[in-house]
Amino acid sequence: MGRTQESTAPPWEAAAQLLPAAQHGDVLAMDELLRLLTPYVTRLCRPIAQTDTADAVQESLVAVFRGLRSLNDPAALYGWVRTVTLREAVRVARRTARETPVAEWDDRPAMGDPQLAGDVHDVLRRLPADHRAILVLREVEGLDERTASAVLGVSLGTVKSRLHRAREGFRKAWQR
Amino acid sequence: MSGEAAGMQQMDPVRRLRVLAAGVRGGMFAEGFIDAPPEGVWAVAADLEGELPHLVPSVRSFRLMDDSGSRLRAVAVGPLGHRADFEVVLEYGWCLMQSPLVIGGMAAVAEGSGTRFAVLGGVRTAGLVPVAAVLRAVGAVRIGRMVERVRRRTAARR
Repeated sequence: MGRTQESTAPPWEAAAQLLPAAQHGDVLAMDELLRLLTPYVTRLCRPIAQTDTADAVQESLVAVFRGLRSLNDPAALYGWVRTVTLREAVRVARRTARETPVAEWDDRPAMGDPQLAGDVHDVLRRLPADHRAILVLREVEGLDERTASAVLGVSLGTVKSRLHRAREGFRKAWQR
Repeated sequence: MSGEAAGMQQMDPVRRLRVLAAGVRGGMFAEGFIDAPPEGVWAVAADLEGELPHLVPSVRSFRLMDDSGSRLRAVAVGPLGHRADFEVVLEYGWCLMQSPLVIGGMAAVAEGSGTRFAVLGGVRTAGLVPVAAVLRAVGAVRIGRMVERVRRRTAARR
């Protein structure tokens, strides 16, 4: 789980510049903003809502655009998009988990499979959505625990215990 | 595949239009299945000069004034002769139009043997925000009819 933020982070400065026009109903500015935000939102959603990534991306962006006019500070765009996206991705993943039986361990791909990324995603798929979200925040986004606590809206203690269980779960799943 | 390309793959044109609809004041959005391939549906939708007067009752004529560059310019004339200047983005499966007062959009994507087609309409000016809810209620019916009109115009060309 490497930290790949630089390769897919949108140009937040350009996005923030589009914000005032988008907030005033300029649909062409909204479209440009959508194009800038989509890769980042997809990168956050993919590990959390693995089987419904497209739905999670769409619902995250719907929530972002529905709340766009309430955002007063363009500099807050990045953190706000991240918070909204994580919330929506976890919600979609939980909804899917209620509807889909958990995969059997025997379904896992053999270790040594050349598609390492596929293996990582497969192991992640076996973790609860909350655990996937905290792993994405800490291991992919590189947030510290205090910031992750603010983003997820849970206490610092919960972040620590959830992260411990998520890492343990990932490690066990990877080794099986 | 670049991050941007991978991301946009998750968002086909109809999904993109659903998202924009969430951000438009008084946004009126409708979508439906058309039992015709996307090429046929988009041949109708992208023929703005020829088809918009048939699809949108408040448009008597629609003329593209400049078709160079990524944003086109157009002039729409209403039933009473009033004119409105539009900026237009037109790509395969995707169209956005915007005047100082109103916005419009169309999107199409393959679905099975047919096409999912979506339409968006809305207002831009803050002064019209109080009536946005009313517009949304009335417009939902009208915009739904536009999907039906595209369905009929597509069938007529086959």
